[in-house]
Amino acid sequence: MKRTPQDCPSRLPENTAVKQQQLPACRLQLSATGILSGFFATGVFCLGMGVILILSAKSSMEIEINYTKICASCAKLRENARNFDKECTCSIPFHLTQTMRGNVYMYYKLYGFYQNLHGYLLSRSNSQLLGTDVKDVETCAPFSKSHDGTPIAPCGAIANSLFNDTIILSYKLNSSVHIQVPMLRSGITWWTDKYIKFRNPSSSNLSSAFAGTTKPPSWPKPVYELDENDPGNNGFLNDDFIVWMRTAAFPTFKKLYRRLSRTQHFIEGLPAGNYSFNVSYNFPVTRFQGEKSVVLSTLTWSGGHSLFLGLAYTVTGAMTWLAAFSMMAVHLKLKGKRFSPDDKVKL
Amino acid sequence: MFCSEKKLLEVERKVKANDREYNEKFQYADNRIHTSKYNILTFLPINLFEQFQRVANAYFLFLLILQLIPEISSLTWFTTIVPLVLVITMTAVKDATDDCFRHKSDNQVNNRQSEVLIDGKLQNEKWMNVKVGDIIKLENNQFVAADLLLLSSSEPHGLCYIETAELDGETNLKVRHALAVTSELGADISRLAKFDGPDTKLMQNSGKTKFKRTSIDRLMNTLVLWIFGFLVCLGIILAIGNSIWEKQVGDQFRSFLFWKEGEKNSVFSGFLTFWSYIIILNTVVPISLYVSVEVIRLGHSYFINWDRKMYYSGKATPAEARTTTLNEELGQIEYVFSDKTGTLTQNIMTFKKCSINGRIYGEVQDDLGQKTDITKKKEPVDFSVNSQAERTFQFFDHNLMEAIKLGDPKVHEFLRLLALCHTVMSEENSAGQLIYQVQSPDEGALVTAARNFGFTFKSRTPETITIEELGTLVTYQLLAFLDFNNIRKRMSVIVRNPKGQIKLYSKGADTILFEKLHPSNEDLLTLTSDHLSEFAGEGLRTLAIAYRDLDDKYFKEWHKMLEDANTATDERDERIAGLYEEIERDLMLLGATAVEDKLQEGVIETVTSLSLANIKIWVLTGDKQETAINIGYACNMLTDDMNDVFIIAGNTAAEVREELRKAKENLFGQNRSFSNGHVVFEKKQQLELASVVEETITGDYALVINGHSLAHALESDVKNDLLELACMCKTVVCCRVTPLQKAQVVELVKKYRNAVTLAIGDGANDVSMIKSAHIGVGISGQEGLQAVLASDYSFAQFRYLQRLLLVHGRWSYFRMCKFLCYFFYKNFAFTLVHFWFGFFCGFSAQTVYDQWFITLFNIVYTSLPVLAMGIFDQDVNDQNSMDYPQLYQPGQQNLLFNKRKFLICMAHGIYTSLALFFIPYGAFYNAAGEDGQHLADYQSFAVTMATSLVIVVSVQIALDTSYWTVVNHVFIWGSIATYFSILFTMHSNGIFAIFPNQFPFVGNARHSLTQKCIWLVILLTTVASVMPVVAFRFLKVDLFPTLSDQLRQRQKAQKKARPLHSRRPQTRRSSSRRSGYAFAHQEGYGELITSGKNMRAKNLPPTSGLEKTLYNSTSWIENLCKKTTDTVSSFSQDKTVKL
Repeated sequence: MKRTPQDCPSRLPENTAVKQQQLPACRLQLSATGILSGFFATGVFCLGMGVILILSAKSSMEIEINYTKICASCAKLRENARNFDKECTCSIPFHLTQTMRGNVYMYYKLYGFYQNLHGYLLSRSNSQLLGTDVKDVETCAPFSKSHDGTPIAPCGAIANSLFNDTIILSYKLNSSVHIQVPMLRSGITWWTDKYIKFRNPSSSNLSSAFAGTTKPPSWPKPVYELDENDPGNNGFLNDDFIVWMRTAAFPTFKKLYRRLSRTQHFIEGLPAGNYSFNVSYNFPVTRFQGEKSVVLSTLTWSGGHSLFLGLAYTVTGAMTWLAAFSMMAVHLKLKGKRFSPDDKVKL
Repeated sequence: MFCSEKKLLEVERKVKANDREYNEKFQYADNRIHTSKYNILTFLPINLFEQFQRVANAYFLFLLILQLIPEISSLTWFTTIVPLVLVITMTAVKDATDDCFRHKSDNQVNNRQSEVLIDGKLQNEKWMNVKVGDIIKLENNQFVAADLLLLSSSEPHGLCYIETAELDGETNLKVRHALAVTSELGADISRLAKFDGPDTKLMQNSGKTKFKRTSIDRLMNTLVLWIFGFLVCLGIILAIGNSIWEKQVGDQFRSFLFWKEGEKNSVFSGFLTFWSYIIILNTVVPISLYVSVEVIRLGHSYFINWDRKMYYSGKATPAEARTTTLNEELGQIEYVFSDKTGTLTQNIMTFKKCSINGRIYGEVQDDLGQKTDITKKKEPVDFSVNSQAERTFQFFDHNLMEAIKLGDPKVHEFLRLLALCHTVMSEENSAGQLIYQVQSPDEGALVTAARNFGFTFKSRTPETITIEELGTLVTYQLLAFLDFNNIRKRMSVIVRNPKGQIKLYSKGADTILFEKLHPSNEDLLTLTSDHLSEFAGEGLRTLAIAYRDLDDKYFKEWHKMLEDANTATDERDERIAGLYEEIERDLMLLGATAVEDKLQEGVIETVTSLSLANIKIWVLTGDKQETAINIGYACNMLTDDMNDVFIIAGNTAAEVREELRKAKENLFGQNRSFSNGHVVFEKKQQLELASVVEETITGDYALVINGHSLAHALESDVKNDLLELACMCKTVVCCRVTPLQKAQVVELVKKYRNAVTLAIGDGANDVSMIKSAHIGVGISGQEGLQAVLASDYSFAQFRYLQRLLLVHGRWSYFRMCKFLCYFFYKNFAFTLVHFWFGFFCGFSAQTVYDQWFITLFNIVYTSLPVLAMGIFDQDVNDQNSMDYPQLYQPGQQNLLFNKRKFLICMAHGIYTSLALFFIPYGAFYNAAGEDGQHLADYQSFAVTMATSLVIVVSVQIALDTSYWTVVNHVFIWGSIATYFSILFTMHSNGIFAIFPNQFPFVGNARHSLTQKCIWLVILLTTVASVMPVVAFRFLKVDLFPTLSDQLRQRQKAQKKARPLHSRRPQTRRSSSRRSGYAFAHQEGYGELITSGKNMRAKNLPPTSGLEKTLYNSTSWIENLCKKTTDTVSSFSQDKTVKL
């Protein structure tokens, strides 16, 4: 900045771009062609994406079997809380008309189960689940301590309501031979959940690590007996437990239960044929008028079998095009009789 | 006396001079000036108390308390306390800095030195320690920081001249005199402190500074109330939903969970839910709204301070925004009330032209032969040969100089008259330069002109006037002084020149003087008349000049009669007036002078441009009607093209009413017949009527009203007539108004027109008007400070008003509106998803987002881009803003942000929240991740929503920003980057290991944001929420382009040279002879001169002279007091002062 000597330098504002509001800038002024071509391009993209998504969703397969009513007797038994220790199993046969190719995932799906209630969501203790302090049950109300004051592990409403049906899929190889479809329980949790967020308290013996705590009221057995065969799947590290603890956003949700181990007969996936689910029916959904089902599904490049995104993209694309055409019509119609700025600005 | 006017309780003041002990009994205030609010100890409690008095802060405190109740706490406490503490700290820091400055300036004033008589000795004392009753010695050119009573002075007769520049901006000296009893007492000026500190007249008159708010502020408050009502409705809906849900589903679900402790009545649960949702949804009006608004205004204020185009190098004065809370109101001004002297005019009179013996001198012809004022190209007359010449004086016509050199007797006589017939006092400064003390700048201009042309007024005594005529000293004997008054409109002197001839020299208003001429002057009179019309047409102030040769005998007779008349007891004034009439006749016309009341630079352009912007300019001045009208013409506010100029000058209420009625009839009669007579309408009807009529009135009208009439017109029953008439006129000039009336006029318009007003002035007499208008502007750089101190904005030149309003004001308004629209949109989009989510989570007041996101969204993730837009955005550049004043009109019509706009923003926000919520909802329903794991867990949903929201609002701000500077780029991209880095940090393993309960979202960002599906959702959400807006805007611009849209298109289309607007003001007018005679001083100075009271003793000649015996020594002072109306109050004849 050059100052002339007669100017009082202390009071003359500096001649900088910021202070004089002369910052170099580009003025965002979209031209009609720019906007219209943008609309058309977006429309093309959305339509294309929509079609791809729909086609890929169609290519995947999904079977859902709602067994709330099918296992009516078990459901009835479970309605009474006192029957909690009575076993009830139920077999649900079904026919697969087409081979499910590729990786097949088995989910359980619950209807009307509110895992997103404010109080429910808060009722857990992350520091307990981290294994640092098993007795930290501060945030777990109302399931923090049992009647005699022993802290519950794992505490809280979420843990207490753990989904505890066991589902076994068996394949009818021929009329007499039923083989159990090999399923993997590993890889159904997030890596961070399994290795960061959930830890067993460090101790040589898991049961001693949980000494001084008690099992959640609705659980039939304590947490350290969830899977006694596999120490990596026991205690807080139990995959089903971890999956359950990742609460769902909506009252209808499905959670990954098992995935197909592609061995022997099942290298290609699930071959067509007759199957049955053998369910040990423990989770009493009818008490809150919920429902539960089991889902077998294959995946696409973008994830699960869902038409919504594809449809939404298609609709958006179509709307964008519609808008683009009508805008173009308006613009062209007006073009002839538009005023130039000078006609309106009279000075 | 005047303490009883100011304070009801204090009827009289008892003061013993120089007796501090006695005076202390009364506990008068000390002289310390306190404008600061806090000291170190009181700062925290007082400041906090003040801050929590603000509704917004108190509201957030209330929310904080709500959040601390565990039953209804749906958000953790830090979501509110973090922003609240931030805001309170920022405000406190700002208040503390402000107060620091006040402390500094107080100290500066308080520590000025004065000399006080203590224990019989003069001691230096700081002004703040001066006590009531102290005797103070003042010397020439010292500041006075208290109300003082003059006891005596070194000047003869206890006179003292004071300058009141800091009070009213007037730089001419005012005479004060000591009481006769005290004036004998001592040399030098000593004064008695009478009112101190907060009791001074100034502090008493400064009035309570009203807290000004902008109309946007008021609108915002209304909208916040609306929003609050809206929130309560949402809360009630959700609470009812919760009750129903609890009854139908919740009970069973709870019993399934064995949640026995949680069992509660469904209605009670609904009640708690209501409060929980109030807490969650309060983010629609986040505290950051108020802070951001303040920050934006502060930024705009700095831009005003920094603007080099509003810096006046002549006085080294930059523009200053003294109030930082009113900026956007500058973009909505409809009425400008302007003072005249010092604001429109420079208060500098320059001798421009003269007509001597039928010939005009001073015309400048440029190359095109046009008589214009392009003076800079011409070579001015060189006065350097004349050692006495005033260097600043410029004259561009060499003919006059030649005529003087040729010895034209008429020209000589003309200049001699100018050098002799006046009330100027001369003085030599240390450098031997002549300094003139002038009572009116007009006279100063004339005497200075004569001086430069070789007729230098050197000195005067009561009996003589000495002038230097072309190098030779000539002393004239002053025989009589026929003073000026408002009725005579002329003044004369009778002198005897060294040759013994007696001459009467007279100058005065042409209309008066022309009647007194000798019949032989007829030809010259016609010629001079034409010249006068021409001068007047150029807006110059004119005086006619004439002389008369008197013979000795006649004069002696006349003088004898004058002496008799003076000694007469009854009808003295009438007799003297008669005698004056008698001798001032058969005059010989010499010519006329034309003095320019110099307008400030660029006034005409500014006025023209502001009227193009539909801003109505009213001139409120204390000047005489003629002067005011003259200036009106000079500034192009009044033109001869106007259909009619109504002049209201009645002296009684009935007259005024009648005149107003006539004017109105006249106005309506030319357009359509109007209801006859005077009807007082209901206020509302009146306004409607006025607005209807306003549209039907064609043609330009102007209204001139004087102070007397205004006093009557402001009475309640005529008020509406006045307002209606005034608002239909293009120009309104109020002359001879008092400061209070100025304020009343402003209040009138403010109240009944609902318009935004701006008052601009430079003196203390404008303070009341500046304070009562929505925006007060002070002209700074003058010596007076009062107007500036009371003002909201100050700058040195009237012409900067154009830039202040059309550029800064317009931009401020534009930016603020854009900011508010976006801010409300953003927060509706942000908050309402909780409402939609309520329907899926059993109305359990579960938030959609992570608590940290809620805390940071408004203060970190989205605050800076919108601030950058609010501070830097420009739709059209400053040059175009100035070139197209019509761009200003959306602000006046309140188009850019109003209730309708707000509803649109709200709808936009609601739409976005719908898209934000339901697209992920649909996509997550029954979906699974790429690895087959479930996708629709709460945390992933929260992260997806939050990410989409940040991206959508960032895209939206990118669309809204029309002026992309580096700062905008940095802030917009930076905000998105900040969002992702904070997201990944908070979801990182490390931070979870340290605070497992505070950051439960571990691994979420990593997991969710690597899923293609989630990005598809985010993309779709963005497209769906942004595309409709783009389409609507495109259609709006295409179908109904505003002027600014067109200009922007053109700005882009062709960056060619900007259009040259030769809006050269047409100052030339053909006809309209107005008598703008150039007298601005008070009468009474003639007596002052002839009595010699105002002259140094050494200059006084040895007694006796013709005039000396005319008056006894005090009568002239009494006369002066009587005639000087505005000085009476401070000529304190306070009886209670005991000496």
